[in-house]
Amino acid sequence: MPKCTINGKEIEVKDGSTVIEAMHDQGIHVAHYCWHPGLSVAGVCRLCMVDIEGMPRVQIACNTTVTEGMKINNTSQKVKDAVKWGLDFHLINHPLDCPICDQAGECGLQDQYMEFGKYDPEMAEKKVKKHKVMDLGPTVVLDSERCILCSRCVRFTKEVSQSNELGIFNRGDHSEISTFDGQKLDNNYSLNTVDICPVGALTSKDFRFRQRAWYLKEGNSICNGCSTGCNIKTYFNKEGFFRVKPVYNKEVNGHWMCDDGRDLYKFVNRDHRYLKASHRQESGWSQILPGAAAKEVSTHVKAGGEELALVLTGQYTTEEYEKIIGIFTKDLKTKNIFHWVNNKESFEAFDNLLIRGDKNPNTKGLLQVFEKNQISKTWADLETSLKAGAIKTVVVAGPENLKFYKDLDAKVQLFSQAKKVIWLQTAKHPALEKLPINSWIIPMKSFVEKEGSFVNYKGLSQKMNKVTTIVSEALTLAEAAELMAGHQISIKPDTHILTDADRPLDQVMSEHRKKNEFVFKRGTV
Amino acid sequence: MSVVQRDGETRKWYLLGVLGGLWITGHHLIKNLFNRKQMITLNYPEEKYEYSPRFKGNHVLTVKKDGSLRCTACMLCATNCPAECIRIVASEHEDPSVEKFPISYEIDMLRCVFCGFCEEACPVDAIRLGPEWQVPGLCGDNFIYGIDRLAYRPQLKGGIQSFVDDEERHKAGI
Ligand code: SF4
Ligand code: SF4
Ligand code: SF4
Ligand code: SF4
Ligand code: FES
Repeated sequence: MPKCTINGKEIEVKDGSTVIEAMHDQGIHVAHYCWHPGLSVAGVCRLCMVDIEGMPRVQIACNTTVTEGMKINNTSQKVKDAVKWGLDFHLINHPLDCPICDQAGECGLQDQYMEFGKYDPEMAEKKVKKHKVMDLGPTVVLDSERCILCSRCVRFTKEVSQSNELGIFNRGDHSEISTFDGQKLDNNYSLNTVDICPVGALTSKDFRFRQRAWYLKEGNSICNGCSTGCNIKTYFNKEGFFRVKPVYNKEVNGHWMCDDGRDLYKFVNRDHRYLKASHRQESGWSQILPGAAAKEVSTHVKAGGEELALVLTGQYTTEEYEKIIGIFTKDLKTKNIFHWVNNKESFEAFDNLLIRGDKNPNTKGLLQVFEKNQISKTWADLETSLKAGAIKTVVVAGPENLKFYKDLDAKVQLFSQAKKVIWLQTAKHPALEKLPINSWIIPMKSFVEKEGSFVNYKGLSQKMNKVTTIVSEALTLAEAAELMAGHQISIKPDTHILTDADRPLDQVMSEHRKKNEFVFKRGTV
Repeated sequence: MSVVQRDGETRKWYLLGVLGGLWITGHHLIKNLFNRKQMITLNYPEEKYEYSPRFKGNHVLTVKKDGSLRCTACMLCATNCPAECIRIVASEHEDPSVEKFPISYEIDMLRCVFCGFCEEACPVDAIRLGPEWQVPGLCGDNFIYGIDRLAYRPQLKGGIQSFVDDEERHKAGI
């Protein structure tokens, strides 16, 4: 374990770690573009300059290994000048696109320019023109002029997704990122290239032009797209959710997440949600408030016993399962609790990176609660008892993320054999309109609107916090269970509708931007 | 409202002050009656005051040579607006050299404080505050101005062009 001194502070680092890693671990800010903790070292951007005692010239921190007694400094004027001129070279051919560039506000070039640049450009030459708005594939758009050729995206497709679609073509200032002949950037992880691109060269088709980065607030959560349970950051404002990005977690997802997971923000938005509870009577569907509906339903559920069944999907939090299963077994005296498994065949599938076949975030958690309460009924039991008419009332905690529940129509028919169906559901689905007379659809809160934990495929329980509230009237599974059992509960009215409960820390990292309060205090919801 | 309480003898002699005030009013009344040309007040709305052409009134969205909007939907004006009264929806333009443009641009005139910050924030001279200032309307809706009104209202005669010549700038390699 070599010892070194960084900016006058003595620290001990891991064997073989580079200067930039040592600084990164210590939280010391160092300008860089091409280095990424999840990728190999390229050393092409020449921005991570540090002054090392005994060396005549400044060195790049990302490709220099720390040796015993090394004295490193990155605050000297020499380093600042080196970064400034490095930046000047990056900007020689860079277009003046910030007004229409999606990266503006979170752009590496803007940040470093405000920190090290602020010079008057001395270039008299015309800028080299390159391709703009290039369609790279189904998810990503490339603007070659904005690219600083850091090669992060190329290394990502080579090392992480291993799909090798991207490469750097031509030479000198005509170099451009592109895909090999006729190929498209089309893999399950393609949008990670947009995240790691330090500038606005790669932009996401889904997010393009929908919001400016500074209008968005952020909140951490856990992806409910599959049983890996990637840590995510959601971006939203009063108009809804707009994008999802991965958050580093060494144990779970590293630096990445899959493209499917990035679509999940869609179904939590208001237009995809049930806002009111619906009740189907002879005369058709009528709408009431969710809490009132759950109370109304309690007259049918309260009797409980063997005629009542509960069907659960693996898409709710462990805490909710404990509550609802507790209430059904103890208060309502039924052991008819079933696990609705969507795609049993592919449950064990794994693509060796992140994506798992079990498309429920909390199957493990559900099974653990089942075990704790000694529930052992199988799906076949449910089918036979429904057919025999032994079950008269079914409460279904439907899937939040409907994408992998293709057989909803068939399931609606199956449950319709019972006299009464109470369907707890977050996102709208046309199949539910076919529920029989005496059915209720009660809106549920989505995963970003509640606290709780998901247990992932390897049994790791991850806690998630509430991000915001979208449909304030919707219930959590625990609240619905209480109300259906006829208990009185008090629900605190939500005052933070579509704003985060506690203002997040200022996300602006560099000092000079913090000073620009005028801009960053704006965009309030 | 503040009330000034004077102490002492002068308090008793307010009548003199009242008479002084009446004298000024009467003086102007008689002057205006016999010398109507020099009257300072206007018979609004029949008579209107001529403001300078640089007066900052209702907004104008400028247009390019072909008549399309100059605005690139960068939202800097909306970010800068202290009244938060500008609402822009951006979209992808079919012409890749334009790339981004507003499909909707609305200013809520009743919230606008005519500070001109939007004009200053705009990087492409796409929004200006013009000399027009009278805005009658029957309901709140009439005061939310969209692109139709901001760029192409009849008074603008097909749109105001910017003095910045984009073609020249492109040729110069900017
Ligand atoms: S990449 Fe950064 S500097 Fe370049 S146009 Fe986009 S926001 Fe501006
Ligand atoms: S597209 Fe972005 S990530 Fe790829 S080389 Fe260019 S700047 Fe780097
Ligand atoms: S003049 Fe001021 S208040 Fe009115 S739209 Fe512009 S920035 Fe907003
Ligand atoms: S600042 Fe100018 S270009 Fe940007 S959105 Fe406003 S009017 Fe359009
Ligand atoms: S980060 Fe070291 S050269 Fe780019």
